Order: sequence, then structure tokens, then C-alpha cells
Amino acid sequence: MSGDINRQLSHMSEASSVGSDGNSSEEMDEDIDHSYYEDTSDDLGLDCPSKTDDPEYFEYEPLQLIDAEKMLNEEIEALCTKLKVNPSMAKMLLLRHNWNKEEIIDNYQRNPTEYLIESHLASRHRHDNLMGHRPLCSVCCVEYSKDRFMGVACGHLFCRDCWDMHFQIQIQDGITTGIECMAKECPVLVTEDFVCEILSHPKLRDKYSKFSFNDLIKSHPNLRFCPGVDCSVIIKAKEPKAKKVECQSCKATFCFKCGIAYHAPTECDVIKRWLTKCEDDSETANYISAHTKDCPKCHVCIEKNGGCNHMQCPECKYDFCWMCLGDWKSHGSEYYECSRYKENPNIANESVHVQAREALKKYLFYYERWENHAKSLQLEETTTAKITTRTQEKVMNNQGTWIDWQYLLRAAGLLKKCRYTLQYTYPYAYYMEKGPRKILFEYQQAQLEAEVENLSWKVERAEITDRGVLENQMDVAEKRRLTLLKEFLDVQVL
Amino acid sequence: MAGLPRRIIKETQRLMAEPVAGITAIPDEQNARYFHVVVAGPSQSPYEGGLFKLELFLPEEYPMSAPKVRFMTKIYHPNIDKLGRICLDILKDKWSPALQIRTVLLSIQALLSAPNPDDPLDNSVAEHWKTNEKSAIDQARQWTQLHARANNVNSH
Repeated sequence: MSGDINRQLSHMSEASSVGSDGNSSEEMDEDIDHSYYEDTSDDLGLDCPSKTDDPEYFEYEPLQLIDAEKMLNEEIEALCTKLKVNPSMAKMLLLRHNWNKEEIIDNYQRNPTEYLIESHLASRHRHDNLMGHRPLCSVCCVEYSKDRFMGVACGHLFCRDCWDMHFQIQIQDGITTGIECMAKECPVLVTEDFVCEILSHPKLRDKYSKFSFNDLIKSHPNLRFCPGVDCSVIIKAKEPKAKKVECQSCKATFCFKCGIAYHAPTECDVIKRWLTKCEDDSETANYISAHTKDCPKCHVCIEKNGGCNHMQCPECKYDFCWMCLGDWKSHGSEYYECSRYKENPNIANESVHVQAREALKKYLFYYERWENHAKSLQLEETTTAKITTRTQEKVMNNQGTWIDWQYLLRAAGLLKKCRYTLQYTYPYAYYMEKGPRKILFEYQQAQLEAEVENLSWKVERAEITDRGVLENQMDVAEKRRLTLLKEFLDVQVL
Repeated sequence: MAGLPRRIIKETQRLMAEPVAGITAIPDEQNARYFHVVVAGPSQSPYEGGLFKLELFLPEEYPMSAPKVRFMTKIYHPNIDKLGRICLDILKDKWSPALQIRTVLLSIQALLSAPNPDDPLDNSVAEHWKTNEKSAIDQARQWTQLHARANNVNSH
């Protein structure tokens, strides 16, 4: 089937004649925008995506823990000087108001008392809950001399031991910057200096500073922890946008805004809804979208073993589309419609039962395509691995140099990138309102899908495909991807 | 009661000396941190006439951590599930060390008077409450008759 790369690789001699033509292929490179290969050509310094051309352009830098700490401390200090408050207070204000310094300074200078009350750092009334010479601590019910009693801005006083216990329990539960006064319904927050003065347990002190640092980072709109496993890098971005970040240290890629796998052109809240929906409904969907299908012409059972959706039946050589089982020829032109869901036009007049079935049908349509592209991506990973092995063999056998064969890996990398975006167009389309925007989106999606499948077909047959033809196909596929993203990614309201 | 914090002793003494109307809370003979609680269904609620058995346990960290409370008598209520677990903010994140056993039990009594189907623990019960309040209240009344009649409590 389409994934049978081994068979194609036996045509090695044919393919090598393309690559050995060193000079002409060097020239070919000139025609291609190098920014397309940013995933694979880092070491060559070829990627220089420009702000205006690339809808996915995003400025960010990785920080080590210590640098992030330094940066935050500088911001805290600046606020201390400006407002003449202590660092614990400044830290709390920044954390509570997402590091919006201008707004904090503005509000504080307008009415400091009111602003501190609003920020849960002061209380309207100064409470005094102590009575007599040897007052009773209302938490432990033990009497102490007055100097054992302590409290924060609200004036509620409790004995030192009770505060200590309170902090221990809260920190064990992972609460640090959110620790409140012990009094009933008192929202006043306990600041760091007070906790550090009282907390007796050295291990919990470390925990407190670690957790509160995490809270500081999480509250900062321009900083994100890398979600990579055991990765301690913090990403700093100029603006908090839903754009792609790749951690240089652990290679994790994610959306800066929401932290999950990058999902352009779909928005953060939409992809979350989609993923939850898939989790709930996927059993049915899995059942319906099985791994095998019958050839629409000769009905032989076919298992998909490659990423490409342009299938050719091994028995009758019929070319068809894996998704819609239609003739592949009709997919080549503008009439490519396999990615478009055709809704029942009369749906409003149907019964609830029929409407529910229609809703399931619509979901399954998009889910099947989403899932299918995810599977294709996995299968194409195998293709990439095979290409790497074959390239090494060729270089060892003196059939061209390592550089001569890099275009194959670039093609595989670009295919991955395009198919990834294509996969994430389906949740976007599912939640789109009917109308001209949807028609345009589906048109561009179909265009992208057609070119991705063409590219996949050629990548799987890379060694018998002319290099020029392949690179041309890469160019076309990436252009389709960028066209779609330009139209639909940048219109997001951030 | 050796080793029992002063706070627990004081609270227990006060609960015995000045009991809350409609609520009894008696410490277990073996374990002073475990209370046998009976709450009377508030009047003008579907639980009126019922006596509801609960267990209340004061964990090691009490009063820094909230008491653990659970209904032992079956009850049809949107904020109480089949296992008797209670959805009440002061038993979770709104707990304050200044709250007491007394205040917790009063809050539970209030919850019986004013079910809150918008913050449900048992979704099916809450759904029933929201779509057909009258029928849900009837059901709650039936369950009270069935499971929480005064002479039933001891046999549970």
C-alpha cells in the first residue's frame, strides 16, 4: 500500500542520480524560502522568519529558574520603591493583580487603604479579639500572656503556636500565597514576612518558598513553566499570545497561552472543549472509525500502514481517498470536498431524535478526520525514521553526501508540520458558525488537505520522486498552510 | 481524655452544657474525637419530622483542618450523595480554625432547610430539583418517612 516504503527504496539507483547532481540542486535551494525548514535547519542558521510573513511568528526566550527569580525580584523592588511598601506586600500586590504595575500604582495612589482592602491585604475594621490580662487563644483555647499573640493587617490575634500549625497544614496542602487569616470569614492574606517569622519547620520553609515562587510565575502573564517532563525552563514571551513555543532544552512544543499541545488555527478554549468532547465520546467514534476499510471497487480488506490518505488498492490498483472512499481523481482539483461536512439542510424541521443522530454524525465526521490525521502523523514518524536510516546507508555507500540527502528529511519534517496544522483545523471547523467564513475556511482546508496528501504520497516515494518535483510540492503545501493560518489565526482576539 | 487538646475538651463541654436546638452531638466512649450526631429535620422543610444520624470525626490536625462529617441516614438532597458525603464550603476550602463543631452542625442544619441544586454533589438529584422542584421535594419527604422516622434512628 501507500506506506510500503521498502519496495520503493529498492529503486535506489534511480533516486541517487537525482541527488548526485550536486550543482543543480544547490541552485534549487535558492528558490525556496528557508523559513519553511525551521524545524530541521537550526544548525545551518537558515531560519529567519519575518514578522510580517509568518502568522506563527512569536518572540520568546528561555529563562533558567535563577534568571526568572532575578527578573521578578527586580520588578518587586521597583514597586517597593515606587509605593514605599515592604517587599512582601509588593509581591502580594503583583501576584494578585497579574503583575500589572501601571494599574497597581494607579489604584494604590488613588486610595491606598481601599486598594489594600480590595486586594485582601487590609481590613476595614481593626479587630481586637483579646480580652483581659491573660487572654484566651480562640483556636487552641489556651491562655497566654499578651506577647504570645500575633496577627496580620486585620488585627485578629492568635497565639504563635496556632499560627505555626496553621501554616504547616496549609503548606502541606500546597497553599502558600493564598494563606488567609485564621478568623472566621476573614479574607485577609498572610504575607511572606509573617510566615517566615513564625514557621518553625525548616523543610516547610523550603516548600513555602518553592510553592510561592511557582505562584508568582503562574500569575505572571509573560512567563510560563515549560510543560516538558522534568524540565525546569521558564519561557518568557513579549506578549501572552496563543502561539507556538518550542523549548530548546527539552524540545517540548506547546501553546504559550494555555500550555497544552500547540493547536493553531483552533483557539485555546475551543480546543479544550473539543478534547473534552473527544474524551467523552471517543468510544463510539473509535468503534465507527475502524483501522481497516474495504476497497470501494474490489472490496478487498485494506489496512492502512502509511500516513498518506491517497490510497491505491494493491489488488485492483484503484486510486481512492481513505476518508471518503471516493475516486482520488476528483480530489485533485478545486472540487475537493472530502474535508467538508454536508449538513442535512432540513434539519430544523426534523424530530429531536433525528437531530441528535445528525449531531452525532456531524461530530463523528470531524472526529474521524481529526483522529485519522493524528494516526497519519504517527505513521509518518516511521517514514521519517526509515528515511534517516536509508540516508545513512547511502552516504556510507558513497551515493552522495549527507548534505545531498537532507532535503528528504526536510520534506518529512515539513509534511509533519503541515499535517499537524491540518489536524487542528478540524476542531476549528467543527465549532464554526455556518456562513461565508466557514465556506472560505473549508475551501482553504480542502486545498491544504489535498496538498498535504500529495506531499505525503511523494515523501513515501521520495527516492523515486524527482527532487525538484518534491521540493515544489513542499513549497505548495507550506504556502497553503500559511495562507490558511494568515486568514484565520491572526484574527483571534487576544 | 488524656492527650486531648484543650480546644476539643472545651468544645465538648460546651456542646453538652448548652446543646444546639434540634441537634445532639455525643462523643464516643472509646474515642473522644468521634461524635455521634443526630440532626432533626428543620420545620417547613421536606425533612421535617425526620431524625438524621451523622458521624463527625475530628482529625489529628483539628482545628487547623476541618472535621470530617457524613450522613449515616439515607437522605434525598442535592448536596448530599449516596454515601452521605456533604458538599459544604466550610468543610472544604472555606474552613477556618475559628469555626467549631457547633458552627459546622448549624450549617448542616441550614443546608437541610435550603438545598442548593446549583452547587450539586449528586447530579441526578440536583437535576431532579431543577427540572421539577415539587416532585423532588415529594421524593425527599418520602425518603424522610422511609429512612429517618424517629423510631428508626436507633435501629440504624
